[in-house]
Amino acid sequence: MNINFSGVSKIFEPDIAALVDITLNIDQGEFVYIIGQTGSGKSTLLRLITREILPSRGVVAVGGYDLRRMRKADIPYYRRDVGLVAQDFKLIPTLTVYENIAFVMEAMSVPKRLVSERTKDVINQVGLWRRRSMRPAQLSGGEQQRVAIARALANSPSLFIADEPTGNLDFHTAAEVMKILFAINAAGVTVVMSTHNQGIVNASRQRVIELDGGRLIRDEKGGTYSS
Amino acid sequence: MTTLRYIIRDTWRLIFHHWVLGLLTLITAGVMLWILGITTLLALNMENLLSKLESELAVQAYLVKDNTIDVEAIARRIQSLEYVYSIKTFSPSDSLAKLQHKMGSQSRALEMLGDNPIPWNFEIHVNSAQDVEPLVETLKAMPEVDDVVYAGLVVKRISALSRISSRVALVMFLLAVIITALVIYNTIHISLYSRREEIGIMYLVGATRAYIATPFVLEGTLLAFLGAVIAGAGIITAYFPGIELIRENLPLLTNIILTDHALIWRFCGLLAGFGATLGWVCSYLVVARFINSITRPE
Repeated sequence: MNINFSGVSKIFEPDIAALVDITLNIDQGEFVYIIGQTGSGKSTLLRLITREILPSRGVVAVGGYDLRRMRKADIPYYRRDVGLVAQDFKLIPTLTVYENIAFVMEAMSVPKRLVSERTKDVINQVGLWRRRSMRPAQLSGGEQQRVAIARALANSPSLFIADEPTGNLDFHTAAEVMKILFAINAAGVTVVMSTHNQGIVNASRQRVIELDGGRLIRDEKGGTYSS
Repeated sequence: MTTLRYIIRDTWRLIFHHWVLGLLTLITAGVMLWILGITTLLALNMENLLSKLESELAVQAYLVKDNTIDVEAIARRIQSLEYVYSIKTFSPSDSLAKLQHKMGSQSRALEMLGDNPIPWNFEIHVNSAQDVEPLVETLKAMPEVDDVVYAGLVVKRISALSRISSRVALVMFLLAVIITALVIYNTIHISLYSRREEIGIMYLVGATRAYIATPFVLEGTLLAFLGAVIAGAGIITAYFPGIELIRENLPLLTNIILTDHALIWRFCGLLAGFGATLGWVCSYLVVARFINSITRPE
């Protein structure tokens, strides 16, 4: 799924410019790091892609569809094709690991047998099968992150959005998470990930988009954290 | 079918998650719908009583003493009036006999009058108490009618009572509906509010609004329906023994009170349907409003 930003600005009330005139294109199957200081607009850019927010100016198009023009009824179907890993994990505290992942498919009316198979599959993929009956509060930050990744994988999305997925993790766990993300990307899924982790960006040499004060200041293929 | 199974499971989860609140809603809805049901039944009984009294109301119209008058034609004219339910014609001799019968041992006093002073007259029954006044006006305007006698005060009181009874029933009905609706609205709102984060997450990962909303709407509908069923059971438990008590102590009222068991059961069925509909409408409104506000993009 390709992403296209054309002259996109986002201004929050009363007059905070989170993004200013961003134009960029991300092709299907790319792995892109979004970097920049806190408040540079990384999360805003990702939230525009998931259509949690709408641009104040310009057009955000994903898979050829202008997200502003998307009908309300089509939003859930679009989001099923976008795997999202949020900075704060966004897991449902009252549900177990298994239920947190299964409900995404249940919402799509997938039959119980298939839900059970697929849930088992993605939990195994992130190495948490033994913790499937635990609730998020009983898991470490890294484990919660992996549950969020498993949930995002459940619907086999064509686009994977990860907002600082290694932000709260130690080096070892962060490396584990990145391994999973690279595997997803290797399967042809577009991955857009915001990060502060210089080590990860420098080690993998993917496309780097750098934001500063809401403006795009660098778009470099095979880039490092610092220009 | 799969979706339905998931939705039913989530509805149970919702109810048991806030079971104290659910129980309170159930009790409140039950009590309010019971009040609503009993008020409606009382109003129906009152209407029954008033209509029985109204059917007993009669207007007596006396014709002028004139042998050339066509009594039958006048009776037909009166019968054709829209307020008139029935009309009986009494000849002067019939009327005198009736009066003598009424007076019993004192009927000899009538012989002192000499000729029979009573003219041809009609006993007219109306459709409702409110029809008496206009009928009297119409009769008085007829040149063949000499005098009109009716229980004016009784008519006025019955009409007023009928109006008051209808208004009280309407106010009680509205109050019960509003209180039940507010309680259900509030319960579902609390339920939604406590799960607002979850709702946001569900929407973010691709759950449709209908999938998110249905368990909440079902929760409200189910609580109101169960409340109405409890109210219905309470009505049956209180009403039938009440009728028996009246039958034993005030047999005169037996014919006036609604005693048809099938009718009361049907009424309770209607109440259950009304409760479920009320629950559905309230829940739908609050859920639609809440989900709209939580899923609206900035």
